[in-house]
Amino acid sequence: MTKGMLTSAGMMLGVGSFANQEAADAVQRSDDHDPFAAKNRAGYDIMKELKKYKKIDAHCHVYLFDGGPESNIAMADRLQIDKMVVSRPIYEETAGRPDEFIAFNNLVVKAMKAYPDRFIGQFTCNPIFQQESLEEIKRCVDLGMCGLKVYTQKKISDPLFYPIIEKMIDLKMIIHMHAQCQLGVGGYRMKYDTGIRPQTSIPEDFIAAAKRYPEAMFQYAHIGGGGDWEYACKSFVGYPNIYVDSSGSNNPEHMVDFAVQQLGVTRVLYGTDNCYYQSVGKLLASNLPVADLKKVFFDNYNAILKKSGRHVN
Amino acid sequence: MLIDINAYIGHWPFRQLQYNTCSGMLQHMNRFGTDVAVVSNINGIFYQNVQTANEELAQQLKANTLFAKRFIPFAVINPIYAGWKNDLTTSIKKLGMRGIRLYPQYHDYEITDPACVELVTMARDQGIPVAFTMRMVDSRERSWLDIDLVSGTAKPEWNLKNILPIIKQVPDAQYMVLNFANNPALTDEELAIVKKTNLLFDTSGRSITKMADFLTKFGNEKFAFGTHAPFLDYLTGLLRIDSLEEAEAGAPVREQLRWGNAKKMLGL
Repeated sequence: MTKGMLTSAGMMLGVGSFANQEAADAVQRSDDHDPFAAKNRAGYDIMKELKKYKKIDAHCHVYLFDGGPESNIAMADRLQIDKMVVSRPIYEETAGRPDEFIAFNNLVVKAMKAYPDRFIGQFTCNPIFQQESLEEIKRCVDLGMCGLKVYTQKKISDPLFYPIIEKMIDLKMIIHMHAQCQLGVGGYRMKYDTGIRPQTSIPEDFIAAAKRYPEAMFQYAHIGGGGDWEYACKSFVGYPNIYVDSSGSNNPEHMVDFAVQQLGVTRVLYGTDNCYYQSVGKLLASNLPVADLKKVFFDNYNAILKKSGRHVN
Repeated sequence: MLIDINAYIGHWPFRQLQYNTCSGMLQHMNRFGTDVAVVSNINGIFYQNVQTANEELAQQLKANTLFAKRFIPFAVINPIYAGWKNDLTTSIKKLGMRGIRLYPQYHDYEITDPACVELVTMARDQGIPVAFTMRMVDSRERSWLDIDLVSGTAKPEWNLKNILPIIKQVPDAQYMVLNFANNPALTDEELAIVKKTNLLFDTSGRSITKMADFLTKFGNEKFAFGTHAPFLDYLTGLLRIDSLEEAEAGAPVREQLRWGNAKKMLGL
């Protein structure tokens, strides 16, 4: 902990102290709940709650974190996830040559064939190999895939992406880009440089792309992916063509509510990024009404798929 | 029955928390069916004199007779700050605290600091649990004012191996290891140490990607429901338990995880 931190944190805590806050507490004093009495052991049935919602997972991977697609399906069955939008991006820090991304896309096709009722395949590419990427997009769309997943080879705002974004506009399909909002990553407050993936797209990069291409659809990946989700959501308030997905290993309380407050319910998408328990827990624990949860879990992404005619019935 | 072994009230200086008072937490517990929660005051992580945070918690718990039935307070103790032995005694004997939580990462000492070893030994002798938290928040969302343990860098967040040295020094204490994050890999020797220790992991942490695998690896008796609320959503820790299939964990085991293991360590 730095000296500066102690000083500043101490000041803030002084303001936030709640020594006299009990006066404002609103719990009924007459409640004689005895936690150990059998009559008071009625519980919340989370598995029953799960059944209320059809689910499209807007952010999932095959042959990456879970091994083969059987593992994805096992967790999807456990948590009653109906459909998973799956991709295999160029996660490794390699050159990302065409033979690599073609091989990854072929893995996704293989998974789609194994579970045609469960997987919606997304293709990946590398804008550094622009022509090959455009050719690969055509091949993958012809194979029934829907939507582009890209990683940290280039920022989403890089001119190398322009023809690819234009192609995705023509296809009426979403561009799902890995994202982060972390100190010292991708250009955000680089005095704290972590050395992690310098071409990571940050909120400002999405805004640049969204302004240049207002007719394109961008998916800011995993606001639960560990970054500053408040910063990201506040950044996108004026940009209706940027969606956020709720996936990621982090499940901060209030994150989903905050995203909906800032962006409106239709721009928030349910996703796992293969972090299955958290993906469902953070939504069910939110304060969203059932109608809004249905949109986040299913309807919002299906509306995106519908634009290219590849929606779920 | 449901017992949460990992909850807080208080303020986090870098982000506004929801339901972070006793009344707010209790309303949340009622919404999701939790009977009892172990709570500490987050402010104790940041106050130099942590005892004032314990006094704040005790004062808030007095505000409603219901709180005494529904909350089990744990004191935050800093063993390298003046008067910590008095703080421990006062917290346990006068303020009604039933265990302690330690934050070496924030209070800036090594987990094997002689003072920490002495504190854990005292807790053992008094029969109260000692809790360590692997992290409070994911370092990727950290504030520029927060500690600088950052995943993916040369100075990473803690994982389970960071807690083993104190267990080796005081093997017969009772431990809670909260918000299980980062690499869970252990050598066979390290795993054997964990298995023979009286230790509970709570179910809130991101590392528990497949609950059944963790039960197989560490044992059914090593886990208890925990939320890490109000930092994390209230339900993920519960979902890890309730979504277990019958073949993985029958009803008796799920009850053990929901409250039985916690009740045993807490001596309820």
